Amino acid sequence: MIDRRKGLCYDTDMDTNLEQVTGLVFDIEEFAVFDGPGIRCAVFMKGCPLHCMWCHNPEGLAPHPQRVVTLSLCDHCGACKEVCPSKERCIGCGRCVSVCPKGAIRIAGTRMTAGEVAAKIRRQAKVLNMNGGGVTFSGGEVLMQADFVVAVRKLVPEVHALIETSGFAQPEVFAKLAGAMDMVIMDVKIVDPALHKRYIGVDNALILQNLEQLKGMNKLFRIRVPLIPTVNDTMENMEATARLLEGASMLEKVELLRYNKAAGAKYGGVGLTYAPDFPEQQEPNIFREPFERRGIRVDIL
Amino acid sequence: MGNIRAFRRELSKKRWDAISAQIQDPALSLSARAALRLKLFLEEEQIIRNEGENIPAWRTIIAFPDIYAEGEKEARMAGHYIHEQGRVCNISSDWEGVLKGGLLARRDAGNEDMRTTIDAVIAYADRYENEALSHAVRYGADSYLTAMQMFRILHFCLWASNVYHNTVGRYDQYMYPYYKADVEAGRLTEEQALALTEEFFLSFNRDSDLYTGMQQGDNGQSLMLGGCKADGSCAVNELTYICLKASLHNRRIDPKINLRVNKDTPIELYELCTELTKQGLGFPQYANDDVVIPALVEMGYELEDARDYTVAACWEFIIPGVAMDIPNIGAVSHAELVRNVILTKLRDCDSFEALLEQVRLAEIAEADRQEPGYRNLWIEPAPYQSVLMSDYSHDISEGAKYNNYGIHGTGFATAVDQLAAVQAYVYGDHSVGKDELISAMENDFAGSVALKHKLRERAPKLGLDDACAELLDTMIRFFHDAWQGRTNERDGIFRTGTGSAMYYLWHARDLGATADGRAAGEMLAANFSPSLILSDAGPLSALQAMARPTLKLVCNGGPMTLELHDTVFKNAEGIKKVAQLVRTYILLGGHQLQLNAVSRETLLDAQRHPEEHQNLIVRVWGWSGHFVQLDKGYQDQIIERTSYSI
Repeated sequence: MIDRRKGLCYDTDMDTNLEQVTGLVFDIEEFAVFDGPGIRCAVFMKGCPLHCMWCHNPEGLAPHPQRVVTLSLCDHCGACKEVCPSKERCIGCGRCVSVCPKGAIRIAGTRMTAGEVAAKIRRQAKVLNMNGGGVTFSGGEVLMQADFVVAVRKLVPEVHALIETSGFAQPEVFAKLAGAMDMVIMDVKIVDPALHKRYIGVDNALILQNLEQLKGMNKLFRIRVPLIPTVNDTMENMEATARLLEGASMLEKVELLRYNKAAGAKYGGVGLTYAPDFPEQQEPNIFREPFERRGIRVDIL
Repeated sequence: MGNIRAFRRELSKKRWDAISAQIQDPALSLSARAALRLKLFLEEEQIIRNEGENIPAWRTIIAFPDIYAEGEKEARMAGHYIHEQGRVCNISSDWEGVLKGGLLARRDAGNEDMRTTIDAVIAYADRYENEALSHAVRYGADSYLTAMQMFRILHFCLWASNVYHNTVGRYDQYMYPYYKADVEAGRLTEEQALALTEEFFLSFNRDSDLYTGMQQGDNGQSLMLGGCKADGSCAVNELTYICLKASLHNRRIDPKINLRVNKDTPIELYELCTELTKQGLGFPQYANDDVVIPALVEMGYELEDARDYTVAACWEFIIPGVAMDIPNIGAVSHAELVRNVILTKLRDCDSFEALLEQVRLAEIAEADRQEPGYRNLWIEPAPYQSVLMSDYSHDISEGAKYNNYGIHGTGFATAVDQLAAVQAYVYGDHSVGKDELISAMENDFAGSVALKHKLRERAPKLGLDDACAELLDTMIRFFHDAWQGRTNERDGIFRTGTGSAMYYLWHARDLGATADGRAAGEMLAANFSPSLILSDAGPLSALQAMARPTLKLVCNGGPMTLELHDTVFKNAEGIKKVAQLVRTYILLGGHQLQLNAVSRETLLDAQRHPEEHQNLIVRVWGWSGHFVQLDKGYQDQIIERTSYSI
């Protein structure tokens, strides 16, 4: 059983039936270019316990299947409503998808078995291995579906695997999932707890605890900081982040990600509203110095 | 460039009529008229020399009379098969031989008209009062600079002579001896060579707006780099890199860069090329020697000739100097062929195998139908182009060592996806009835929204499902076998290929709904690529699906065409990975690949505000052009292609 809100994960009888473990996937992308070394496939797990104000993947937030409408195609013909069994609240059944004459509806979130996902990765294994790449599990938040991700990983041991994670989960869940990977890419978005709570919706104590754990794991890792104008692109935050990473021997590099100005584009389609309280169009500050002074490599994406 | 184009002029009516009377003289043979036409054209041309300019020749005459009197051309052509404009086109000259030996060495072998053109070209070159150039056109070039100047004059005169799609061939090979000798003698540094090459490449864009093609930009000025030497050893040299850098700096659509690669090509070369792709120029286009050379040998080309291959205007493989192939003489619409088989034969086929047999027979019937149409070919004599061939003893319009015809194939993916849907639902789980499918296709899925959705979104698709890759092999074999063993009237063969040229639009326009869920009129993929209605095939699946070992059977030319979002190229890491992706296709046994770095948003904006996107360049079907100058149909198809880009 998985308590998604807390990211808790109870042990299931994993090794006996890895193929049958199920997870909720919202996309599998080939040729993910900025998600780890080499040519990679990325598996995006649906559901996230955080609510970053700048999230550009709102369809990854809810931990259940949901319908996504391409609003520009919809001409309100009503065909979808005729077949809908739950008009009050979408249950993600998908009956509306095939009746839409415009092809404007799809369901984000497909329940898949680990065996199915592994088979998709296995089809690419040759090309991924030829090019020093592998599979990247991303989200949403992979820690919410740790058992599933571990199961997929165990089914394709021949492929290099890493997770992209916020680090928000109980330490034992984090240890188990990170331990099953060849590499970890973890976000450290905001160091100040109060700001973190305000912009991300949760306390960052677990995240910082897992960062400490990661530093001691003898596992290659990268740290990512999304640069949100005026929110965390400050010298104080960068300095605090760099201080946390000082002396981490397995840290490969820090990647600073420029704010995605198209972040709000997908909100309407899932019935949400994008409401940033920071100046979206402002170019973020880029402070490399706190990292480089400590001998940490910095890449800007 | 703009101010020099101000020198351009139209002939006065009086002058036009006088020249027409001379070159349309009924007493003269067409060959003699063509030679005289070139002579008068060049005499009429104004010589423009600009301070500091190393590369000569600007076209100043916009249009010049044809060699036919009113109505004469139609009369001559009546009863003949006429390819395109009825002129020599789309071949590659013996640049190596002519640059080395000069024009005078070729003067006595051919006919009187060929001699006339040689004298006319030499006279034109002499008007530049450049002693080295005058010497070079007569006796051959002796430095990199004079070789470039001489090439420019000869190539300029080809356009003036009314032949078209005048390709550049293996530039880094035939130019290398001059470059090397200059560098070794201390006359030239790499830096100087790069600057000269840039200036030389720019000269291909001076007059290209006047050159004929299906669309602006489709002028055939293709240049090949890399590959192997006659003995099979690696031919990449310093000039290969210099040319790539020159093109990168220039960012112009001409010359169109191609690169021959093989399993040993170093990743650094791919990375430099990817920098070029990043510019959005749509090149280089890659060709894989490991597939193409054996395929050409299989078609009957001698090994040394096969190793010397270049491309015609787009991507058809041809041999410089010795080939008068017509590699784009026709095309088969596989999407339509399979659709017709389903509509007319499905009811009678008890098994999927029986249906496939009907497809095989339909491919043969299509070849039977087309082939007679290509007989009794007539091509206008081309005395000057003939001078530039390896065998310069006769008119090239009569043929050369190789006289093969090429048949394009469009809609492979749509053909395969239709078969896959029928296999899965009609013969597999029986969830779709034969009549239900046929009726839905005939009615463009009116009232069959659910069936359309199922076929479109649920059925197996090439690029996603392995079963489709096997069906692709089957389609390739049927196509090849249908044309195999046929000879044309010039004792050449018919080469089948995976190119589409503009047929991807023509064949889609009147194509009804297809069994893969594609609605009537929806567009087909360009060249050899997964279907446009496939929204979730990533490039890894696509590359693996298309890199089939059967490609050697359909090696007339025609690249896999892949669109990548321009954000992929934003940093060194992205460049490196795209380079790896290209190499992967080559290592998997793909034959030819072209990539577009595009942004759907930019393209849509360019349609709305063309004035703000004058310099936006895209790969169309086998060449690069300015997006805003394309007809809307071509623009729309490119935008559609981006839907499965990442």
